[in-house]
Amino acid sequence: MQNNIKHNQEEITRKEAIKKIGNYGKYAALTALGTYLILNPQKAQAASVPSNPGTGF
Amino acid sequence: MKKMKTLYKVIEDKTITWFENSNEYVVLENTTADILKRLSQGISEKDIAEALSKKINVPLDHAEDFIEHLKKEVSEPNSLQKETIINDHRDIQKPKIYEFVKFYQINDINFKVSFLSETELSLIHPKFSHLVVDEVSNYDNEFEVFIANNFIFLYVNKSCIGSWSHKDVHFFQGKFSMELIQKIHQKEEDKWMGVFHASAISNGQKSMLFLGDSGNGKSTSLALLQASGFTCIADDFVPMDAKKQEVYSFPAAISIKRNSLETLLPIYPELETSAEFNFTRLNKVVRYLKPNTTNFLQHLPCHDLVFIKYQKDSDLVCKKISKIDAFQQLIPDSWLSPKIENTQLFLDWFSTLNCYQLTYSENEKMIAAVSKIFNNDL
Repeated sequence: MQNNIKHNQEEITRKEAIKKIGNYGKYAALTALGTYLILNPQKAQAASVPSNPGTGF
Repeated sequence: MKKMKTLYKVIEDKTITWFENSNEYVVLENTTADILKRLSQGISEKDIAEALSKKINVPLDHAEDFIEHLKKEVSEPNSLQKETIINDHRDIQKPKIYEFVKFYQINDINFKVSFLSETELSLIHPKFSHLVVDEVSNYDNEFEVFIANNFIFLYVNKSCIGSWSHKDVHFFQGKFSMELIQKIHQKEEDKWMGVFHASAISNGQKSMLFLGDSGNGKSTSLALLQASGFTCIADDFVPMDAKKQEVYSFPAAISIKRNSLETLLPIYPELETSAEFNFTRLNKVVRYLKPNTTNFLQHLPCHDLVFIKYQKDSDLVCKKISKIDAFQQLIPDSWLSPKIENTQLFLDWFSTLNCYQLTYSENEKMIAAVSKIFNNDL
């Protein structure tokens, strides 16, 4: 069950990176050309996010 | 307006486009990237729209509208930077006394690291405890770590490197590691191409990166492989230099999660005793396995990325995957130098890689598959 949840979350994250330009209805070629993916690297060097970080130091 | 610098790299059937002002990577169709290139060369929108309209057989007004949108949404990314709260910690006084002072030796370089309390110690020390030496008076570098006003501070050789809130503690740990590799390998930050959230092993001649979401078994696989003749190069924090695009050794120990113990205890009985750190006051137990090398000067070329996953009862699946798929997973998890020269080197290096997906449940089969990838024998 937990695996399923995790899997779904991953898919959602990746879908969020997909963007579309405009709305070209029947012109599938334009819709295809206007579909792109934005990827941002980490803003700084990072270690793994702790699994149980708690709420403060 | 300052002209924005953009890099383009065709990989498989897409063009990866990089924008300098946002350090953002955008995966575009080749034709779409060509339109952006032409726009940046000063070719008129009307001319480009006419060519596009003919090429894909759409009405001219739709092609014009498309180019207008493309220009606005992709080639002129929102230049508004998110405001970040600047911590004004000019009044912060460094502690006069630290509860824990450790000395670490990496290659021939001595580090003195002072931790204000057990909280600070628990965030750094377990990963490096295999490098502890007796107190030395002539250390080469001094690191100081303390929490004040709910921020954790890092000083290196008396200079403040930064401060981080509790929710950014993984960035504090990342910066600590970054400072460390700069001292170990004598390369300033702009000489590094990037740092990957991965594990790295070598066969003596070259290295291989293992990637995958947390919990997929990167570190467990690394521990199994270092018991089977491969050398551990780095776990969790894999630095690569810009000049030669080689993976550099990072001396931290391998973090072992509780659910890997069953697999690893028969090979590493010390996981039950010496490798376990119990911070009783913090109610926190962590386990670290030391790497099977003491040569932390190593740096090796890397041509293979492996997305690894341990999955109970799964048959071995080891197959090549598309580089674009690999790219999508690699970028959000990596720190990549924002320098244009380094980005060009990164894109060139990435385009030469082989990318694989490896899913396994039987350790021996995984080890055999990794050997085959190393030998280009898959």
